[in-house]
Amino acid sequence: MPFHVARPAVAALAAAVAMTFSALVAAQQPIVLQWQTANLTESQYEPIWKQTIAEFEAANPGIKVEPVLVARKDHWTKFVAASQARKAPCIVSVDLTTAAYNGYLMPLDKYWNAEPAEFRKAWSDAMLSSAKWKGQLYGLPIWGGTYAEIYNRDLVVKAGLDPAKPPKTFDEYLAWGRKLTGSDQWATAVLGGKTDTTTRVLLMWIWANGGEAFNADMSEATFAKNPKSLEAIKFYLGFAGKGGIAAPAPTTTNYLEQTNLYAQGKIATMRNAYWAVAKVVGDNPAMAGKSFVAAPPANVPNAPTLATVTASSISSSCANPDAAWKFIKFDAGRKWAVARAKVANWMPLRNDLADDPEIKADPMLLQYVQIGQNARSYPLPHPVWAEIAANDIVDAVQKALLAPDKTDEIFRDLDARLTKKLRDI
Amino acid sequence: MTPRRRRRAGLAFVAPAAAFLAAVIVFPLGHAFWTSLHRVRGLNATFVGLGNYVRIFGDDAFWHSLGVSFAFTASAVVLHLAIGLALALVVNELRVGRTALRILFLTPWMVAPAVGATIWLWLLEPQFGVVNYLLRVAGIIPSPVAWLGEPATAFASVVAVDVWRGVPFVMLLMLAGLQTIPVEQYEAAAIDGARAWTRFRYVTWPNLRYLVVVATTLDLINTIRHYDIIGVMTGGGPAGATEVLPVLIYNTAFRGNRLGEAAAIGVALLAIVLVLAIVYVRAARLDDDKAAR
Amino acid sequence: MTRTSPARTALLWTVTIVVAVVMIFPFYWMLNTSLKPSAEVFASPPTFVSSQWSLDAYRSLFATRSIGRYFVNSLIVALGATALSVVLAALAAYGLTRFFPRGATTFVMFLLFTKMLPETLLIIPYFQLMSDVGLLNTHLALILAYSSFALPFSVWMLIGFFRSIPREIDEAARMDGASVLQAFVRVILPLARPGLVAVALFTFLIAWNSYVWALVLTTDASMFVLSVGIANMVGEYRVQWNELMAAAVIAALPVMVLYSLLERHLVSAITAGAVKG
Repeated sequence: MPFHVARPAVAALAAAVAMTFSALVAAQQPIVLQWQTANLTESQYEPIWKQTIAEFEAANPGIKVEPVLVARKDHWTKFVAASQARKAPCIVSVDLTTAAYNGYLMPLDKYWNAEPAEFRKAWSDAMLSSAKWKGQLYGLPIWGGTYAEIYNRDLVVKAGLDPAKPPKTFDEYLAWGRKLTGSDQWATAVLGGKTDTTTRVLLMWIWANGGEAFNADMSEATFAKNPKSLEAIKFYLGFAGKGGIAAPAPTTTNYLEQTNLYAQGKIATMRNAYWAVAKVVGDNPAMAGKSFVAAPPANVPNAPTLATVTASSISSSCANPDAAWKFIKFDAGRKWAVARAKVANWMPLRNDLADDPEIKADPMLLQYVQIGQNARSYPLPHPVWAEIAANDIVDAVQKALLAPDKTDEIFRDLDARLTKKLRDI
Repeated sequence: MTPRRRRRAGLAFVAPAAAFLAAVIVFPLGHAFWTSLHRVRGLNATFVGLGNYVRIFGDDAFWHSLGVSFAFTASAVVLHLAIGLALALVVNELRVGRTALRILFLTPWMVAPAVGATIWLWLLEPQFGVVNYLLRVAGIIPSPVAWLGEPATAFASVVAVDVWRGVPFVMLLMLAGLQTIPVEQYEAAAIDGARAWTRFRYVTWPNLRYLVVVATTLDLINTIRHYDIIGVMTGGGPAGATEVLPVLIYNTAFRGNRLGEAAAIGVALLAIVLVLAIVYVRAARLDDDKAAR
Repeated sequence: MTRTSPARTALLWTVTIVVAVVMIFPFYWMLNTSLKPSAEVFASPPTFVSSQWSLDAYRSLFATRSIGRYFVNSLIVALGATALSVVLAALAAYGLTRFFPRGATTFVMFLLFTKMLPETLLIIPYFQLMSDVGLLNTHLALILAYSSFALPFSVWMLIGFFRSIPREIDEAARMDGASVLQAFVRVILPLARPGLVAVALFTFLIAWNSYVWALVLTTDASMFVLSVGIANMVGEYRVQWNELMAAAVIAALPVMVLYSLLERHLVSAITAGAVKG
């Protein structure tokens, strides 16, 4: 064959062989999904997620799930750095609204709508709407944390109070608080540290008084504008200070300090989620079985409590969204929801678990489920929520704790500042 | 060697480091400048020229943070120097155990800043912390002090922890310098009947001056960009009392997700320090001229 | 040296001991906590010495976490950064001192200036850079990062050191027939050894303790360094503080050992390198 014909022909043939070969190889190479959530570094969750991954991989040969372990406080930072380079892990659990607004997440409607009704009915509309942004679904709610009031039975009884009749209104709570405060011991702790837990608790008190922190479409802040909100704020922050019922140093009290105080018996009650009970027992085994739970005190009927919602999402950098959805579906299954509830004390968000024997076997969990029937989801759905919850609102709380007589002014300033930020997107 | 060959030889030596730094420092630096000129919302970046700078200069938070940064850096660096020098003088006079002491005093520098800060966080904890416990047992304070809970004490606490972290390096530098001062100079001073302060002023200090400049410059740079201690201990609180610029930058970038503004704050910080450095160098040169006369 | 009275010596020793206690107290507390059982960590009043001290936290630490692997990764990265930094800084400092004496200070000032941006602003572009060249999840990315941080100070210090070595020595070596590079490696470098040791220690410390860069640039657990491994132990819902502190103690030990062994080089290097300017 003439050389000038042979060479291109051979080249073409070689190219065809190479392409076929690499396609074969690629078909055999497993898809690797990276999974990043702040909870993978929670020690009690570790055996569960390892099992989840093992069983998923066994059922789906050709897909591998690679967990990305990050310290909780740096989880978002790492996610943003990777997203900016379009190399974020496929499956993530992050602040949904902020991430969706910034283009870091992929809408999931096409996957959701393709699922059978059988699967979809486990999530109520209200639950789903907590994972929506501008009408599109960006995550599947997997687990959450409902907040309630946890009491130390021994301290309550010691103060001459009846554990079967926890306080229902603000005034009753204050009366209890006075009795539970003694020398070197306080009724509760006011959360004023520089994390968004401070904001969570503040919101609950506001809602419990029938107040609102924002208007309906979150374009305006009403911490001071709404008189019931301001009243609740003053009441709650008034626990702190000399002669109050709250432990000292509220501006440095976060979840860690609060649970420490409770575990060591320095405070008799705390506003917290179910996982806090496990933490307390872990810190101080003598506290096992000593706590009881009640709905947070409220001045209006049907006041909602707060429930954090953690959803699994697919990042916009994901190269294999189909496989990612498979894993998310798998992880959202009943088995894992129950395991998480039992072992890590994380509330399931499916509505079809009320009859599960394992769930029913834990009375405190049942109580939490019940209290959680009337809860508002958190974080609030606004792209700047992450910032205002951890910075601006906390700053205002800290200022008010340091200068209580300026509370009105401080929260009016907060309203103005927040309203500006809320509108600036 | 011809001048040309000298230059080529010199370039050959300097080139590896320069190329390395160009790739690894200049690109991220340039990127930071570039980002500061854009309004960044996630994956969307729109060019806004100096818009970010206008915004941050118009924001109280920036000026407040700048003030806190200056106060923090100035206090920390001055204390590093004063205490480091004092310690070096003390250790220098001791005849025994100097090496062991040097190693002992270096300990804070060897612990990772975040870990050290966490431990100090515990030590200063009002209810369970060791500091309050010891102070109460010694009868110095009647009830627990919320060290990190009040603005003034929080500021003092983070400065104190930064002093703990930073003194070892300065002390080591000063100690080394002290040990190279020729004994003859001290003997001459003694013959002239000089007292301790005079000895320090006319023998010790002149010999240490360059070292002090080196130590201070490095210290300033490290302290003004330092994030870990304040980030771990107070997060910038309470009520912004310890919110230095690195904390503001971090919060703006990763809580506020406003990467363009955060970059602008960083660049503004650089510019301000540059101006101060130029002023300082000018002043130092004038001083030298005066001293020379 | 002037004579010191006994009273003065006593005073000096008191001050020294008080300061030493304050300096070392956090490390002692780290050790103390790592030896206590969990329940005692936040007991009130705090215990300074405990009858319940044990190595359980260390045992469970090694059993539940790949501390050995993190340690090795840290070592590889720190040693790699140290080697790179020493080589680049020595070459650059020598080149500047001998061939561009007037440009030396400006160059160093520029380097120091670039160091002033807080890390926060650099991690995103750095991640992008490493991602583009395919170096994510590698030791090399961290080695490059840490060397770049250590370089300015290293070059500055070595410049001072090389300046104190008289040019006659270079010239003598050249006259014996050595090339510039050979003179540098065989004659000058050995004389500068204390300076090189100082640079090595300084870089090692930076690389060993750094966290943010390893956080952002590694996702594979088998690539984690100690600082990342330690940070990952801080869960929100439960923290084993004694294990965490045990890990921190383990992380602090190599640095301390290294410094104890090489500390005298550090002192003489700083002396020669900096005092003479």
